[in-house]
Amino acid sequence: MSKATADWTRVGDRFYRRTQLYDSIFDPDLELENYIVTGAPYSGAVALYRDESKIYSFRGSKTAKSSIDLYSCAGKLIRRITWDKGRIVAVGWSAEERLLVVTNDGTVRSYADLQSDFSPFSLGHDAEEYGVTSCKFWSTGFVALLGNNKLVAVTRYDEPRPQALASAPVGEVISWTVIPPEHTSSRSVEVLLAVDGTVHVVDAAECEDRGLQAGPFRHISVSPNGKFISLYTDDGEVWVISSDFQDRLSEYESKVKTPPKDLQWCGNNAIVLAWEDEIHLVGPNGAASKFDDYNSFVHLLPDIDGIRVLTNTVCEFLQKVPDSTEEIYRVGSTSPGSVLLDAVEQLDKKSPKADDNIQMIRSNLDEAVDVCVRAAGQEYSVHRQKQLLKAASFGKSVLDLYNSDDFVDMTEVLRVLNAVRFYEIGLPLSYEQYIRLTPERLVQRLVNRQQYLLALKMSEFLHLPVDRIYVNWARQKVRSSSTDEDSLCEEIVRKLNGKRGVSFEEVAHAAYDEGRGKLAAELLEHEPRAGKQVPLLLSVGEEFVALDKAIESGDTDLVFYVLLNLKKKMPLSSFFRTINSRPVATSIVESSAIDQDQELLKDFYYQDDRRVDGSNLLLSEALAAGDINAAADKMKMAAKLLRDSKEYTAQVAALEDAQKLLRFQEAFEKDLNEPFVGLSVNETLSKLIKTGNMKRSQKVQTEFKVSDKTFSWIRLRALVSRRYWIELEELSKGKKSAIGWEPYFNEILGAGNTKLASLFIPKCTHLAMAERIEMWLKCGLANKAGEEALKAKDRNALEELRTKATGSAQLDIDRMIAQLQKGR
Amino acid sequence: MAAHPAAKVINTQEITDKARRDLLQLLEAVRGKKNLVLERSLAGTIGLFVKFSTLQEYGVDKVFFLENHNVDSSQRNVIFLLRGDNAKTVRTVAEQIKLVRSESKIDHEFSIIWIPRRTRVSDMVLEEHGVLGEATISELALYFVPLEQDLMSLELESSFSDLYLRKEPTSVFASATALMRLQKQYGLFPRILGKGDNAKRLADLLQRMRSEEDVNASSDPSKTYLTSFGLTPSSVVENLIIIDREVDFPTVLATQLTYQGLIDENFGISNNQIEVDTSVLGGAPAPPQQQTGTAQPPTAATKRKVPLDSSDKLYPSLRDANFATIGPTLNQTARRLQSDQQNIKQQDQSIADLRSFVSKLPSYQAEQASLKIHTGLAEEILKVTRSEVFSAMLEVQQNLLAGSDPSTVHENIEELIARDVPLKTVLRLLCLESCLSNGIRSRDLESFKRQILQAYGFQHILTLADLEKLGLLVPRESHRGYLNPIAGAAGQTATDWNAVRKSLTLWIDDVQETDPNDTAYVFSGYAPLSVRLVQCILQKSYLFGLVNTRQGNTPPTGGGWKGFEDTLTRIRGATVDVTQKGHDADASHARKTLRGSKEGPKVSVVFFLGGVTYAEIAALRFVSGQLEKSSWRRIVIGTTHVISGDRAVGAAVEKRKFVE
Repeated sequence: MSKATADWTRVGDRFYRRTQLYDSIFDPDLELENYIVTGAPYSGAVALYRDESKIYSFRGSKTAKSSIDLYSCAGKLIRRITWDKGRIVAVGWSAEERLLVVTNDGTVRSYADLQSDFSPFSLGHDAEEYGVTSCKFWSTGFVALLGNNKLVAVTRYDEPRPQALASAPVGEVISWTVIPPEHTSSRSVEVLLAVDGTVHVVDAAECEDRGLQAGPFRHISVSPNGKFISLYTDDGEVWVISSDFQDRLSEYESKVKTPPKDLQWCGNNAIVLAWEDEIHLVGPNGAASKFDDYNSFVHLLPDIDGIRVLTNTVCEFLQKVPDSTEEIYRVGSTSPGSVLLDAVEQLDKKSPKADDNIQMIRSNLDEAVDVCVRAAGQEYSVHRQKQLLKAASFGKSVLDLYNSDDFVDMTEVLRVLNAVRFYEIGLPLSYEQYIRLTPERLVQRLVNRQQYLLALKMSEFLHLPVDRIYVNWARQKVRSSSTDEDSLCEEIVRKLNGKRGVSFEEVAHAAYDEGRGKLAAELLEHEPRAGKQVPLLLSVGEEFVALDKAIESGDTDLVFYVLLNLKKKMPLSSFFRTINSRPVATSIVESSAIDQDQELLKDFYYQDDRRVDGSNLLLSEALAAGDINAAADKMKMAAKLLRDSKEYTAQVAALEDAQKLLRFQEAFEKDLNEPFVGLSVNETLSKLIKTGNMKRSQKVQTEFKVSDKTFSWIRLRALVSRRYWIELEELSKGKKSAIGWEPYFNEILGAGNTKLASLFIPKCTHLAMAERIEMWLKCGLANKAGEEALKAKDRNALEELRTKATGSAQLDIDRMIAQLQKGR
Repeated sequence: MAAHPAAKVINTQEITDKARRDLLQLLEAVRGKKNLVLERSLAGTIGLFVKFSTLQEYGVDKVFFLENHNVDSSQRNVIFLLRGDNAKTVRTVAEQIKLVRSESKIDHEFSIIWIPRRTRVSDMVLEEHGVLGEATISELALYFVPLEQDLMSLELESSFSDLYLRKEPTSVFASATALMRLQKQYGLFPRILGKGDNAKRLADLLQRMRSEEDVNASSDPSKTYLTSFGLTPSSVVENLIIIDREVDFPTVLATQLTYQGLIDENFGISNNQIEVDTSVLGGAPAPPQQQTGTAQPPTAATKRKVPLDSSDKLYPSLRDANFATIGPTLNQTARRLQSDQQNIKQQDQSIADLRSFVSKLPSYQAEQASLKIHTGLAEEILKVTRSEVFSAMLEVQQNLLAGSDPSTVHENIEELIARDVPLKTVLRLLCLESCLSNGIRSRDLESFKRQILQAYGFQHILTLADLEKLGLLVPRESHRGYLNPIAGAAGQTATDWNAVRKSLTLWIDDVQETDPNDTAYVFSGYAPLSVRLVQCILQKSYLFGLVNTRQGNTPPTGGGWKGFEDTLTRIRGATVDVTQKGHDADASHARKTLRGSKEGPKVSVVFFLGGVTYAEIAALRFVSGQLEKSSWRRIVIGTTHVISGDRAVGAAVEKRKFVE
């Protein structure tokens, strides 16, 4: 077993290590230098396609066919996409391992999950016209540079929407890159363009020149955490600056004439420069190291915590030695972790030194255990993982109190990591990458590689949901299997039934996409969620079932959606018949049509023989109509609809009255030159009275059979509001009133005419004496109140009045009291 | 409200915070300055959880209302913030985007934020107009908006007319989604109880959603694996009680007599705010308007917005009291404040005294300002309640509620019509009569209808037709079997009010307004049926004691509706009683042990489908207070929106007139 430090290299004061992940990657005949290679983040798949700008030897027509080949990191071919769709400008990956292929006409083809067919979208008109020059990708989107130096960004793939960024300066873009939105202060993507001697920063809103002079920059690259930028100048210097362009952090002179073919970050603190078969690693403060033991062309595949170097024969991972690993394995290290590891080795040799070691680090033992656990996670060699865990376990056993959660978690993680690193799977995840990728997405990647069994085992091991795995399996089955539909459906149902959370809809969709409509319908019946079935049911032409399912789901949006589709497809009469038997559908159609399509509603009411509704709709139109004649016509039609049936006589009468009223009002307007239309019967009466047209008002009263009571109230209030005191006084001479006399008193008093109000008091004969006294008092007539009391011979009331009265009234009351006493 | 452990159980503040965070995040996603286009009804709702100044900090330059059609092109970024349920709104947005695009010279970036979700119909309509690809579309899952610590509303103002006039179940679905989200956070409601056909629909939907949630939970890759165990019964929420508004229309129609209720009746509370003339407030300080310094046009100064929530010093203690007691309470407060002030002036003071006074000063001033506002409001309301028309109206209402023969009040109603009182007042009385006696004798009804049409205009043929559709104003014969053409399901179609009034003691003659002992105080005699139904579940022995005054009968025990089944069959609509158990008995058991077996504070969620009135809220708070004292329990109210009688009949009232 080689020493842990065997593949370490010192760069400045740090150590870097090259871990060989896999060997004999590609067919030795494959001329890697003629290919463009891009790798998905988190040790994902690698895409290779031929660089059209390079000459290559002809090897017969078979290989000449152009294609995009997807390999695992171990060189296992996952998929070959034959390509005949135009010139590829860029190929990139998203964090979900979605492959994106951009052609120069601005078409983007997006291949989800390594297996399925692509879905295309366009980058827009400008891209079509000027062509796409190149693209830069980040985990959830990409930016395309067009032939006219315009930039177009796509920030999501589930619903791609190309967005033009602010216009970039003219001039040749020598190199460029993007800072992903998650690392910018504006939370939107920023583009760094090296044009002429300087760098421009472009985002959605503006373009800013950062005013550097040392350009032109051949390469520009942003560190994985978005904090630093590295630049390669024409005279062979590498600069590292902070991404806000404020600080210049380090400089390095490569002393090489030819500029490197690639410059990438290795983690967040080193830069790798690559030439044909040689790479330079530049650490902080310009320290550097050269690796030239590659015997063939190298490609760099940067990742979040290091960089993968890919050649025909090897795939290796270059990274800074993790702190915990360095602490333990560094030559001459005396850290507690290192001592603990040594103790285990001594123990194996049955040497008493083991105990000495433990005693030596006794006070830091828990720390030593932690470090060993962490370091185990960083190891690719199973042997060393075991050693470290053993050390941790030994240390743990000595401690009285130790929380073993981390230890247990780590053993679980390592089992998973070792399983997926196996060359047939080819996912050489580092611990860091695994944590960032999350177990759920790792399972998805296994599914992408059709490693269903491993995915299942892993999910069960980690207590993850397994439904996605089954669904993906079934989808793949539907796509690839050629067995007859019944047995296929049966097989799928047998496997999937009873599994929690399994979505048959997705499987059915896959079947539908494959053109297996019958299978889709059959599978759909097993979907538990009614709502999910609807869109697919619509596509397979099962509209009625779709409508019923939508109603069942209770989601009105879904019902409405189906209805809109139905309305487009079928003749109106059968549409009405369809909704007629479904009350929810009816009400949704009705309520949306009221806002938008009254004609539809009219037809519907007519067909359904809902006369009142139809008539009311016409009335509503009458209200909306601009002029009286149109309104009257509409009302005539409304009345006509109802006339046949006895049930609606009252409403017909009302509609006729309404027309009559309009005619009256029209006449009044002509005669009196005052606006009347729009008033109600009572308001018309009131207005006529107010304008002194008593005759006309009486005509209206009889014509519309307004009751005397109502009329009296209207007259009273109208007269009072206009202060027609004379008319009111006239009324006080009347003998009878339909509403009694009290309202007259109250209303007139409310208007402030106490004198006139008092005229009505004696007429309120049905009221009690006390109330009448109160009324007199309200008019300020204490003596009259006194007379009232006198009439009733109520001494107490008089006494009380006396206390309230003032001036002459008081004297009057005194007199009355005396009179009362006398009379007794 | 005092800080109480149960107050933390359902944390409404959390909902507010989350809504604010989510909205700001969406705004932030659009780079640079932007114009915001809102649906008018959303403006107040959004104001409940985020201030305009905060929006400005996030780059919002100007706010426009969608209805005004004046989206301007001053900013490159235009964000629409709208409810996506309504196809009409979607259409308007599509048209405006097209308009701006064709008229403006700048290349605009449009974003649409749908509340509470992006709908298929919206996509379809946008696509039809060819603008689907033009806008970045996102959604803001805004369901419940907390109005108070114990009151959450969906703020769906049209839900009453949607549900009962148009029979359109959109708000049932929205309610189910909102309650489902609550369950996801706090666990399944162990028991769902309810009354009314729509309540049944909602409960069914909740159960359907729960089974679908199992499928969703694990097919959503962003979910953590914990949810794959499925939902388990909550250990903090005891039950969900759904009251379908249809079960109890009379309570809505009756004039509310609590302070808050009367404020709502007179000024119309919307989103915890009212707008009143400054004259009403008696020159109370209006800081926001003075800040600008420039002379405000006088028209703008005459109206002022007054926030009415628990940030006010006095309001929480006043709002739920019967209005009759407000005057004395305000008096007392005024005297207390005055004596405080005098104390300070008179006594010789040490520095320490002075300091303590100064530290109290802000709260003292706030209290004084609040006192001024409420005195002003109370006086304004008093003007109304003292009027002759109000007492005439109230007399009719109380007679009807107490169960006297409706024909005795007909004359009074006729007089009110003749006196041209507001239409809605008359309609409320007529509807109240119709609801309480299952329709009005058809000859009387025809006569009333004729009078209304003559008094208020023939356009109200439509109003009356809508009221009939709502089931609020119907002729007696055709009543049975007519209501609920959709439902036809189990349950009565009409309530036997006379029997229910007796068996649930809906009328209390000697009601105590100042120191209430029963929920009947909110209507000075009438105990709202909706609240009685809640009491059937939560205060069995109290309610039982009210009815069976004689000793010997033992109150019913057990959960749910137990003991009141007979009464329930006399009330219209289906009865709901569902027990929800966890999928995995072990998991729910484990959760129980994890949470500790100790009985913690429990919450009952009372959800009003179709709206709740402030009077009912007051009554429920009263019940909640009693529960808290006796058993550490508490009520949280959820609703589609806050409703009042005017708003209910307003759903039917035709607003147009015949014009030239």
